[in-house]
Amino acid sequence: MSTEDARERTELLQGTLDMLILRTLVLGPAHGHEIAKHIQRTSDEVLRLEHGSLYPALHRLERRGWLASKWDAHREHKRECKYYRLTAAGRKQLVAAESKWNRLQRAIARIMTAAARA
Amino acid sequence: MKPDDLDRELQAHLACEADEHRERGLTAEDAQLAARRALGRETAIKEQVRALSPLAAIDDCAQDLRYGVRILRRHSGFAIVAALTLALGVGATTLVFSVVDAVLLRPLPYADADRLVMVWEDVKIPGYTNPRNTPAPGNFRDWRDQNSTFIDIAAIRDGVWNLTDAGEPIRTEGAMVSASLFRLLQVRPILGRLFTPEEDGAAPSRVVVLGYGLWTDRFGADPSIVGRTIRLSDEPYTVLGIMPRGFQFPDAEDQIWAPLGLTPQQLANHDGHFLRVLGRLKPHVTLAQAQADVETIAARLTEQYPNSNTGVGVSMLLLTEQVVGDVRRPLLIVLGVVGFLLLMVCTNIGALLLARASSRGREFAVRTALGASRIRLLRQLLAEGVVLAAMGGALGLALALIGISVLRWLAPAVVPRINDIEINRSIALFNGSVALLAGAICGVIPALRSKRDLSDTLRDDSRATAGRTSLRTRNGLVVVQVALGVVVLVGAGLLLRSFVGLLHVPVGFRSDGILTFRVALPAVRYRTEQQRSGFYQQLADRLKALPGVSSAAAISFLPLTMSGRITGVSIDGDAARAPGQVRMVDFRSVSPGYFAAMSIAMRAGRDVAWSDTPATQPVIVVSETMARKFWPDQSAVGQRVKRGRPDSDEPWVTVVGVVSDVRQFDLVSVPRPAMYFPASQDHGTGDTLRDWVVRTSSDPKAVLPSVRSAVWSIDATLPVTRVETMTEVRGAATASQRFTLLVVGVFAVLALILAAIGLYGVTAYNVSQRTRELGIRVALGARRGSLLRGVLAQGARLTIVGLLIGTVAALALTELMSTLLFEIGPRDPVTFAGVTMLLLLVAVAASWGPAHRATRVNPVVALKT
Repeated sequence: MSTEDARERTELLQGTLDMLILRTLVLGPAHGHEIAKHIQRTSDEVLRLEHGSLYPALHRLERRGWLASKWDAHREHKRECKYYRLTAAGRKQLVAAESKWNRLQRAIARIMTAAARA
Repeated sequence: MKPDDLDRELQAHLACEADEHRERGLTAEDAQLAARRALGRETAIKEQVRALSPLAAIDDCAQDLRYGVRILRRHSGFAIVAALTLALGVGATTLVFSVVDAVLLRPLPYADADRLVMVWEDVKIPGYTNPRNTPAPGNFRDWRDQNSTFIDIAAIRDGVWNLTDAGEPIRTEGAMVSASLFRLLQVRPILGRLFTPEEDGAAPSRVVVLGYGLWTDRFGADPSIVGRTIRLSDEPYTVLGIMPRGFQFPDAEDQIWAPLGLTPQQLANHDGHFLRVLGRLKPHVTLAQAQADVETIAARLTEQYPNSNTGVGVSMLLLTEQVVGDVRRPLLIVLGVVGFLLLMVCTNIGALLLARASSRGREFAVRTALGASRIRLLRQLLAEGVVLAAMGGALGLALALIGISVLRWLAPAVVPRINDIEINRSIALFNGSVALLAGAICGVIPALRSKRDLSDTLRDDSRATAGRTSLRTRNGLVVVQVALGVVVLVGAGLLLRSFVGLLHVPVGFRSDGILTFRVALPAVRYRTEQQRSGFYQQLADRLKALPGVSSAAAISFLPLTMSGRITGVSIDGDAARAPGQVRMVDFRSVSPGYFAAMSIAMRAGRDVAWSDTPATQPVIVVSETMARKFWPDQSAVGQRVKRGRPDSDEPWVTVVGVVSDVRQFDLVSVPRPAMYFPASQDHGTGDTLRDWVVRTSSDPKAVLPSVRSAVWSIDATLPVTRVETMTEVRGAATASQRFTLLVVGVFAVLALILAAIGLYGVTAYNVSQRTRELGIRVALGARRGSLLRGVLAQGARLTIVGLLIGTVAALALTELMSTLLFEIGPRDPVTFAGVTMLLLLVAVAASWGPAHRATRVNPVVALKT
């Protein structure tokens, strides 16, 4: 058993995985494993990604034209990995998704704090 | 997307993840395992990624179908049974729908047929109501001239001609019609022309238009016939034109059309009712507006002519409704029944698939473990259903084609537009959709149980688990089947009881042993009463002299043939009655000996006789009902009656005899007062004797040749038509009921068989699943009788639940049939009880075999395996 099991984890909200992937790739091209690790690490291990769900999402985003991919040598190990990078359309989509997310977040926060005051 | 691309990607992922685990100190092997655990099932991921491709769906379907074909091929016995059952259900549904389509849905073959309206008199007076009374010419004239809602209206009168030109004399049906009729129908002749309004004047020209059938059969499709003169009932007529193939109006057999040519006297007549009237609505006028318009005219006519027009309104209906209205309800009932049957077929095949699904539990469990999603499995089941549907649909279409031929052969007179019935593109489409839908239903039924059973199957040892949900679904299916069966059987039962009721209606005569035929005398050579009477007497004598014939006589309208005449009468001592309060009486003309030949009982007085001549006192024989109603406290014999009002010009006639009641017009109408004029006296009705009845001592049809030569020995130009036994005439009066019963009955038998198969299947399955339990009970000393009862009771319980549900459903539905029933209500307790008993019996019989097998369980064998 990995040590992560002891920690409280949060399931990803439906649809947010796509946004997280896009956000991750803003930093530069990455392969699947890196993306998974990055999301996990950056969320302070709160969000644990089902690795299984990552690949269908990557392929879906690529199909939509938001990502492009290319096989390239791994930076450290001697193996080839498939690197994904954001396309222009993907950047636009990320902006749209982020602003939608922000609106949603603010709305939820308002409701939650209002409930606390009441 | 190449699959190995994804594979490479996943392998790379696993390698990276394993590296990480190794860096944390795991052994190479553990690191690999941990990486795999973190990734999840690779096959599932690949499935998901593959499903993203738009081609994947098609590819999957093709794969599912291929697999479905393979599976069904491997179980060909099952596949054949299932496909045949499905074909039966789909074929029956397609057949019935093709009839519904041809008869009810497709418009009549006239331009803008939905603007054509039949106009009838709506007669409501005491003693006589008829919403479709044939209009009097005077009323027709006033409706035609005064309405503002019809483009035009035309009158039609039945016509019949003896065609004596070449070959054997034949009698040809047709109509005398207004010149405007063809314009209304918007039909044109294929040769020649139609008659003009001038030819349809007060003295109509002797011109005719011939039907395509008559033209080809009798005149060899010779175009030069147009313009030539032919002899119809001994009078010369010029042929003006030939109508296109398939044109028939107003009746199916009509082949000759002549001008109606109403005289000014006729056009002023509001009293004699003998026309049919057709109109074409003006654009944007509704039926209700036209109805209101002509009703206003009718009300005016009632004021104007109170004696003839009191209680005479107007009723209209679309021509389509006139043609098919009577069969709409029976057809829709049959369609409903066949729908229930199809549902039973679906549940039956569903149950079969379910049984196989249980035994295929492992296959599905393994596929799930390998990454097949639930949707994917469901689709697989659906695909198998679809493959079955394709086979069943194709076979069903073939069955429907056969069914249509059988139908044409069975029911030409009962189903209107029967020659329009065909399998066209929309019917084929319907067939395909029904088959697919049925296949989908069959396919999904096993999926209902899959969810829990699937996960159980791998875990449990296969035999111990009967799959509780699966068992419940099967029981549910049997309950549904029994319930559907109840509805179908109750429908059939109600029709059967009504039909039996019709067969036992006391008609007032003995129909066996009678041959009937029609000889119509052409008016030209038999103009006077003496000429006709001479022929009648001569023919009656020659017929009676034939070997095997005991009596022979004739009547103007044979009973139960939906024809006849009715008149208002006054009796001696009647004060002039208020308009609309007239006594209405059926009347017929008969030759002496008619009552004896028909075995109609003479209650009092004497029969009419040849000695009743124009020179002697005018006489009549009356029916019991007439005697009882008109002279309740005295003998009818010796009383006097006259047609029309007490002050009318008609002669008084004296009652000389009373006979028992006869069902005249049809089987279901209760006898009205009736009177019989002797054909040997001129009673001013204009009726002639047409229908002959010959009572024979043996087979009625055997005397036909000698009967024909007897007729032709007197006059060789007279066609002998409508040759039937009286039993056949009586049978024809119930033909439509018989037909509906036959169709529904066949479906009911199928329903019963399906229900029995369903019950048998579920009982057999239950017993096979309980083998071990039964073995233990035998080993512990259970009596075989109690085991038998136990298994039977299980089947009976399901049946009873199905019976209850089905009875409730039937109680709600049979109301729709009430117009089809005779002398019983739609909730007839006898029918419901009978169906319940029948289904219980069938249930016991169906579960008897498996139950018996249960008692033969060998405990040693059962427990060892």
